[in-house]
Amino acid sequence: MSATLISIVVFNIVMALIVSLVFVPILVWMERRVAGFIQDRLGPNRCHIGGVRLGGIVQSFADMLKLVFKEDYRPGAIKEKVLFTLSPVIVFVTAYLSFMVIPFADDLVIDGKSYIMQALPIEFGLLWILAFAGLGVYGLMLGGWASNNKYSLLGGIRAAAQVVSYEAVMGLSLISMLIIYGSVHLGDMVRFQGELIWGLIPAWGIIIQPVAAILFIITAFAETNRAPFDIAEGESEIVGGFHTEYSAMRFGLFFVGEYIAMGAASALIVTLFLGGYQIPWLNSSTLKENIEIVFMVIALLMPIMSYFFARWIKKNNVWLEEGDIRNRETKWLINGLIGINVIIIATLAFFIIFGIGDNGTNISVVILQVITFVVKLLIMNFFFIWVRWTLVRFRYDQLQNLAWKVLLPIAIANVFITGIFVVVLGV
Amino acid sequence: MGIKIVPRHGKSLKDKLYLPAIAGGMKVTFSHFIKNLKDTSNIETLCYPEENPKDITSRYRGIHRLTKREDDTIRCVACFMCATACPADCIFIEAVQREDGVDEKMPAKFSIDLLECVFCGGCVEACPCDAIRMDTGIFSFVKKKREDFVVDRDTLLSHKPMKGSN
Repeated sequence: MSATLISIVVFNIVMALIVSLVFVPILVWMERRVAGFIQDRLGPNRCHIGGVRLGGIVQSFADMLKLVFKEDYRPGAIKEKVLFTLSPVIVFVTAYLSFMVIPFADDLVIDGKSYIMQALPIEFGLLWILAFAGLGVYGLMLGGWASNNKYSLLGGIRAAAQVVSYEAVMGLSLISMLIIYGSVHLGDMVRFQGELIWGLIPAWGIIIQPVAAILFIITAFAETNRAPFDIAEGESEIVGGFHTEYSAMRFGLFFVGEYIAMGAASALIVTLFLGGYQIPWLNSSTLKENIEIVFMVIALLMPIMSYFFARWIKKNNVWLEEGDIRNRETKWLINGLIGINVIIIATLAFFIIFGIGDNGTNISVVILQVITFVVKLLIMNFFFIWVRWTLVRFRYDQLQNLAWKVLLPIAIANVFITGIFVVVLGV
Repeated sequence: MGIKIVPRHGKSLKDKLYLPAIAGGMKVTFSHFIKNLKDTSNIETLCYPEENPKDITSRYRGIHRLTKREDDTIRCVACFMCATACPADCIFIEAVQREDGVDEKMPAKFSIDLLECVFCGGCVEACPCDAIRMDTGIFSFVKKKREDFVVDRDTLLSHKPMKGSN
């Protein structure tokens, strides 16, 4: 166990923690603000700590604090106390573990040794994810059943039936991707997507296999119980579905688990279909060869983008009351932005002038790819939220019809056509 | 009466695919999102305690005010017409002899319990000398105790008419 290995493992685990747990408040905030903007409202923007609002993100922490301090109440009618307590944990843990095999960057080579940039350095990532995606629904089922409440039971049954139908389609759409990539290692898949088709278009999964991509995205929505497939907690019919009897932090765990599951589904979609950590037209080897040009481009683009961002902050981050502490935030944010710019540009200039050697090049490529991955993940999460606030909920029979009569035949046909193409063309 | 034939939707391939319609809906929501993200002042929401509604009309019945004569003395003659007309019995008047020769009587005390008041405007219509009006436009009153909601004569006299009303 060298120091390098330990620091890389720690970095990967911390990254997995950040993109799952730390992202939850950000996602909750994003959900509420995006919903507000889509419906021409403002959304939460008043909560502040010493004047710092950060666009209202503090509200998420306040809500979480509230959930922690609420009474942990369990109705007396509940007999299966262990299962009742266990089910939010199952939802949370399975969603969290799915994140463990997502590659955040290309394999890092330090002193000739290669390290996989996943929290769990295993090479059968897709199977791991399939296993845990299927397990997650046990939390909803057990929670619904253990609540000893007819609404909860209905919610649990719905969740189970929905996941059973959509899991089949999801598996089939993944099989066509497996035929293309020829590997279950997520790192190999992303490396495949770094190439170009005819030297022009990035070979992302969504371009090679658009049908499988659409099928997978639809099933990912169903799998994470997000709108338009959130009938498991259909408020209009069955109160709260499986979490009717849950309150305080037990409900909070369900809530957090749901958002982590959404993040994990987004990460998987990004990894499989949207090129993972690859910057379009710049795969790892191109990046390594042209690292100095990339640094220069970043050093040029950073101030320009920061200028427009600062202008946007100045225009929109206002508090109408004169003399309120919240009015000072804009100045702090802009100063912080200038400070970050100065630090980054100075570092990049130092690297360009003095060079950074092989290890330095590899590490900076990894950092660039991690940033790309996080940006893509956020965009995909935004897509999930955007869909939720656009589409209405499916009726239960429509949902099953869609899965068995529409998506399943398309998925099977897609597998066959992909197979024929691969065999005939001998790719 | 002719028969109106309503075109049936959902039979063409484009309708059955669902995805074009979904894309259309997503376009609408995204345009709203971008419009509001670029400039939050596009949003009609009022940030209430800091920002007050600007569309209160001159006929809005806000908190009462007692009007004054040209010589800046109280116009009310303590005739009890408003208190009699009040359906909520929330106006309390104590009359006193007026010594300055402008009129015969004036109220020594004139208080309104805002928690009882139903803001019907009956007192304004009953007043024979235009001494009470509800054109202040004040719609929000927050106090700490019940007793504070009983506003007295001097407070009512100090209320100003809303801008734009006459």
